[in-house]
Amino acid sequence: MSEPASKSTALVPVKRLALPAAMLALVGFAAVLQPSFLSPSNLQDILTQAAPLGIVVLGQAFVVLVRGLDLSVASLMATVAVIATAFNATDDAMIPVIFAVAIGFSALVGLTNGLLVTKRNVSPFLATLAIMIVLQGLRFYYTQGAPAGSLPSGFRFLGTGRIAGIPVNMIAFAVLFVVLGWLLHKSAFGRKVYITGGNPVSADLVGIRSDRVTILCYVICSVMAGIAGLFLVGFVGTVDNWVGRGYELDSIVAVVIGGVALSGGTGTLWGAASGALILILLFNIVIILGLPVQAQLIIKGIIIIFAAALFARARAQ
Amino acid sequence: MAGAWIGRRAGMIELEGITKVFPGVKSLDSVDFEARSGEVHALLGENGAGKSTLIKTIAGAYIPEEGTIRFDGEERSWSSPGESKDAGIHVIYQEFVLFPELSVAENIFIGEAPKTRFGTISYATMYSRASDILDRLGHSLDPRALVREISIADQQMVEIAKALVGEVKLLVLDEPTALLSEREANLLFECVMRLREDGVCIIYISHRLEEIFRIADRVTVLKDGKLAGVRQVSQMDRDQLVEMMVGRELTDVFPPKVLPGKDTAPVLSVRNLRAPPLVRDVSFDLYPGEVAGLAGLVGAGRSAVAHALFGSLARTDGAVMLAGESFNNPSPREAIDRGFGFLTEDRKAEGLMLLLDISVNVTAPAIHEFSTGVGMNRTAEIQAAQDEIQRFRIAVPSPLGDVSKLSGGNQQKILFGRWSRACHRMLILDEPTRGVDVGAKVEIYEIIRKLADEGAGILVISSELLEVVGLCTRVLVMREGRISGEVTGDAVSETSIMRLATVSAAA
Repeated sequence: MSEPASKSTALVPVKRLALPAAMLALVGFAAVLQPSFLSPSNLQDILTQAAPLGIVVLGQAFVVLVRGLDLSVASLMATVAVIATAFNATDDAMIPVIFAVAIGFSALVGLTNGLLVTKRNVSPFLATLAIMIVLQGLRFYYTQGAPAGSLPSGFRFLGTGRIAGIPVNMIAFAVLFVVLGWLLHKSAFGRKVYITGGNPVSADLVGIRSDRVTILCYVICSVMAGIAGLFLVGFVGTVDNWVGRGYELDSIVAVVIGGVALSGGTGTLWGAASGALILILLFNIVIILGLPVQAQLIIKGIIIIFAAALFARARAQ
Repeated sequence: MAGAWIGRRAGMIELEGITKVFPGVKSLDSVDFEARSGEVHALLGENGAGKSTLIKTIAGAYIPEEGTIRFDGEERSWSSPGESKDAGIHVIYQEFVLFPELSVAENIFIGEAPKTRFGTISYATMYSRASDILDRLGHSLDPRALVREISIADQQMVEIAKALVGEVKLLVLDEPTALLSEREANLLFECVMRLREDGVCIIYISHRLEEIFRIADRVTVLKDGKLAGVRQVSQMDRDQLVEMMVGRELTDVFPPKVLPGKDTAPVLSVRNLRAPPLVRDVSFDLYPGEVAGLAGLVGAGRSAVAHALFGSLARTDGAVMLAGESFNNPSPREAIDRGFGFLTEDRKAEGLMLLLDISVNVTAPAIHEFSTGVGMNRTAEIQAAQDEIQRFRIAVPSPLGDVSKLSGGNQQKILFGRWSRACHRMLILDEPTRGVDVGAKVEIYEIIRKLADEGAGILVISSELLEVVGLCTRVLVMREGRISGEVTGDAVSETSIMRLATVSAAA
């Protein structure tokens, strides 16, 4: 795994033990509340739930690292789901085609976001909000409010299946984590991401084309959202207009909990992924406690405040 | 002329044994200071010598750990700047505290506008009192004008006028002429003289030594947070003053100048460079092994020239040759790849990546050099950074250390490592010693000399005339976006540079 524990790759000193400790504490807490929490089937369920969010978070982390954020990810997930069902395919051989089209479309969305932010100087918030709304409109226009269509049965396997007991979508997440982890923490591109996020002015003055780096980060983010959308529609089984709803904020929350600063330039992919898992664990605990689902929102809000306050304090030191 | 609102007493402000400590640094170490009413007292010292801390202590913005403050005959300990202001101390910092969308009069009376009996602001009273105050300063300025529409010099007058609303016994001016033309500076001096005649005690901070000799009665020199001496200005000459500031003889500060070889072709040749509004028409040559200076007032367009050459500011016109080949449509990337480095003015905003470690900061312009098929070669990067650390004797424990925790001098040396490593042909150094202590300055001067000896053409941009004069064999002087003249060899002096910087060279 490309988590940055080894000295040579750690560009940013992180309090590395805080996130694993938080995860362990949550798992322990849940297990005490309900011993069946630790049963293999429950753990598998949690990972299956966590994987799509995790995939979105991997992409969101790149954007946040270059001082941006992407609000269009959830809308893109739903749009990709609609695209996937529009094929009305039944043959599993169509799956690669569907993936290629969906990823291509996502990349275009990311390119648009990136161009708006860098070349037109639109704030990331507004640019991605606008794209989110445009995608939503396109989707509604196409589906006339009632999405129909079907997916090859193989999608169900991608979304819910298991190989050797491990959820397939979790395997996909792990592969993407390793690939993007290498990209961010080992490759020259990753270095440019940190330099651009840390100081865009300096980046340009050391010959880094920070605009290009930023655009690529938006493309990565959208492609990840597209892939997550495909896995999520496979998980849900049917398409609706709101596949992935809420993932835009959840992914940003996860990235922030994981220690990637919204001001850019600092944080790791490992942290962001941990943030996603912590969020899912918390949601799960809400259910175990028998609290209404609405309590998830309250807890989410409180965590954001806590995380933000903690980082503000860490920065002040 | 002298109003009853001013006390004429000796020893207006007396500090004794002031010590002020910041985490890790003793900014002031048992400093004594004394200035009298009716005196212009210059406060002198290199960057980081403790001038600002001393001023802020006088103003109550800092509370010293040790020492006593006597003001106007009474021992005082301010707990806030408001208290010292009420007592009659007024500080004018380099950055003005003005509201651009309000009028001159509103700014002068900010927070204490005269009221009518209904409690509303009495504009009639305010305008007439503002006029009175400006008259007293000998300055004609429309009190109704918006501050954003008046010149920098006029804004400075507004700042001074603000001090005269209440009773001012002590006025501190922090580099008041940094942004002024010669004519404007003269008006300021007249105004300072008037206030002195009124019995105000004036503490005057400036880097321009000729100003000190012109208007100051006495001078206190600080060095590295300690008192280096107090003198009558009339009993000193310029060299003695400089030696007091830097704590050593001038010949020990600057390495000997070396003239570049005569027959070499220029490394950089610039013809009619334009990048409006700041760069209007600039032509010059720079030779290998040469240390040339680019001087001029702040705002004359020096940094803009550097950016336009480097490719980080769009040019509209001009022909540039770099090492004999055309360099007309550059980007920073191309500049770097062709051996042209640019150490920028503001090392935190435009230079360092403060969140990243030293090695990454050093190798930033040459990432591709360390990129292999399987990722960045960290071992090679760390070695490269280690080499620079040794070459420039940078005081850091490890190339993996935090760049943000280094002193200004060491941060600057990291940047020298970065650029001299990546670029061998030529370097533009914009304010290479800003915010760096004297010891590090001397080392940086040696580094500059060494890089030139290795064959690089070096263009130094600096507001510190002393530095330009001490380092450069040739100085190009800019004024309002144009090269107004050039001085070489023995003609390089503060006076000759200032003359070209402030008046038209046409005559």
